[in-house]
Amino acid sequence: MPQLPEPLERLIQELSRLPGIGPKTAQRLAFHLLRTDSQRASSLAHAIEDVKARIGYCERCYNIAEGSLCWICLSTRRDATLLCVVESALDVLAIERTAEFGGLYFVLQGVISPIDGIGPEQIHVPQLLERVRSEGVAEVIVATDADIEGEATALYLQRVLEPLGTKVTRPAHGLPVGGDLEYADELTLARAMSGRGTF
Amino acid sequence: MRLRNHRNYAQLDLSPGPGVNVFIGANGQGKTNLLEAVAMLALSSSPRARRELELVGPVAPMARIEAEVESGGITAELAITLTVEGDRARRVIEVDGVRRRAFDLPGRFRVTLFWPDDLGLVKAGPELRRRFLNQMLVQIQPGYARALAGLKRVLEQRNSLLKRIAAGEEGGDVLEVWNQELVQLGGEVATARSAAVLELQPDAARYHAEIAGGERLEIRYEGPPQDLAEAVHNSLAEDLRRGSTTVGPHHDDLRVLLDGQEARAYSSQGQQRTAVVSLKLAEAALVARRTGERPVLLLDDVLSELDAERRAALLRQVAGEGQVIITSVEAGPFPPELIASAMVWTVHEGTIEACG
Ligand SMILES: [Zn+2]
Repeated sequence: MPQLPEPLERLIQELSRLPGIGPKTAQRLAFHLLRTDSQRASSLAHAIEDVKARIGYCERCYNIAEGSLCWICLSTRRDATLLCVVESALDVLAIERTAEFGGLYFVLQGVISPIDGIGPEQIHVPQLLERVRSEGVAEVIVATDADIEGEATALYLQRVLEPLGTKVTRPAHGLPVGGDLEYADELTLARAMSGRGTF
Repeated sequence: MRLRNHRNYAQLDLSPGPGVNVFIGANGQGKTNLLEAVAMLALSSSPRARRELELVGPVAPMARIEAEVESGGITAELAITLTVEGDRARRVIEVDGVRRRAFDLPGRFRVTLFWPDDLGLVKAGPELRRRFLNQMLVQIQPGYARALAGLKRVLEQRNSLLKRIAAGEEGGDVLEVWNQELVQLGGEVATARSAAVLELQPDAARYHAEIAGGERLEIRYEGPPQDLAEAVHNSLAEDLRRGSTTVGPHHDDLRVLLDGQEARAYSSQGQQRTAVVSLKLAEAALVARRTGERPVLLLDDVLSELDAERRAALLRQVAGEGQVIITSVEAGPFPPELIASAMVWTVHEGTIEACG
């Protein structure tokens, strides 16, 4: 294969590191960007820089946030006695789209997975316990995925949360077994959230 | 059925007949590769490849197996695509153009696979006998493929955790949830296997007695302890010492007895092969009974390995209704009346042609 100019080669390299993008797609995207007018291209570059500079994580729930707290934690209309635990900020968006849930969130930013060296500490379980203890949470809904690691995480949270006297529930029927919460359709997800049951 | 760059098939379009299909060709021409592709559409993964990468042929960094299958009056388009990514292959499974998880594929159409590897079913290690039960159960027992895949993942995670705990990198408090999942999924797998062995027993014994002049075949499922939860609990010290899970269906075996004696140790190769043929025929019968439809029989070059009596017993079943795909180096072992009613094909260097 002929040697490409260095900047182009580098762009292809960077693009192919993105999830779901193979070398072929990276090449196509790079050539597309090459053809794009420079204003468009620098707008994309700035958007990437901005997102890294201005978006961080909420101090209270680990959702994505522009300041120290996310827009959900800042809202005064949420029910603070109801807490939904999810794997990632994408799950927050999925549940928010259903408009079925009026409580607050806690984003684990992962699941328990010994193979990857991820235990309770890495997914902020101590902080979760502290929050439930200090904020008088009446019910924790554990909405991790229904795959092996998501189930293990849910079982673990049940074990450590129940002694605190809070009710622990799991979104009920309808969620595809082994499926990703993020990909569940809105109606299924809304039903699962409202039909949640104890373990 | 269409193959694109599957092993030595650059491009193949094939419409097997509804009855017996015989594929004849020298070794290394692609007979087994063809059967493997059919089996993959029933099982979701190759029953013989160590790494999926080896399935992708030399023509492109991508391989595709697709087929239109019909089962119970329902037609479905099944497709498996492998794309080379670095030193591995990524597998995408589609049913009617919609992406599915691997454990959702089996059961759309069913096969009973019998190839030379299986001749060692009685003699070889327990892994082969677990595979025998698994290949059958993923196709007929709803939820089994999911439970089996889950169990595999739980074992990987639990074993990794055991090592971390032993090395002092992690406390023991997370172990309990993996125990719970092991007990749950292990229980599902063991229950399904145990029921299947009981169901296989009468047919297997009948076939065996017919071929072997009344010799008594018995099969017994050797599963995990009845109280799996307690057994897992009790094995903790040993598990930590070894860094692996010592109790569970991943240690199961299927014992085969002939006239009350352990067939592995006391039977001749001929008797063992009769038992294998009987088990395979019983498998096809069980699949037919559970699903109301005969599985597609895939017989890879096993006829030449069997003596006349065993071959005849197998072919008697083959000649019944249902679709059969047989490969052979030569037409020799087939009775003329079978060849007369079959579709015969020749396989040569990755191309297949109808013959006659
Ligand atoms: Zn927040």
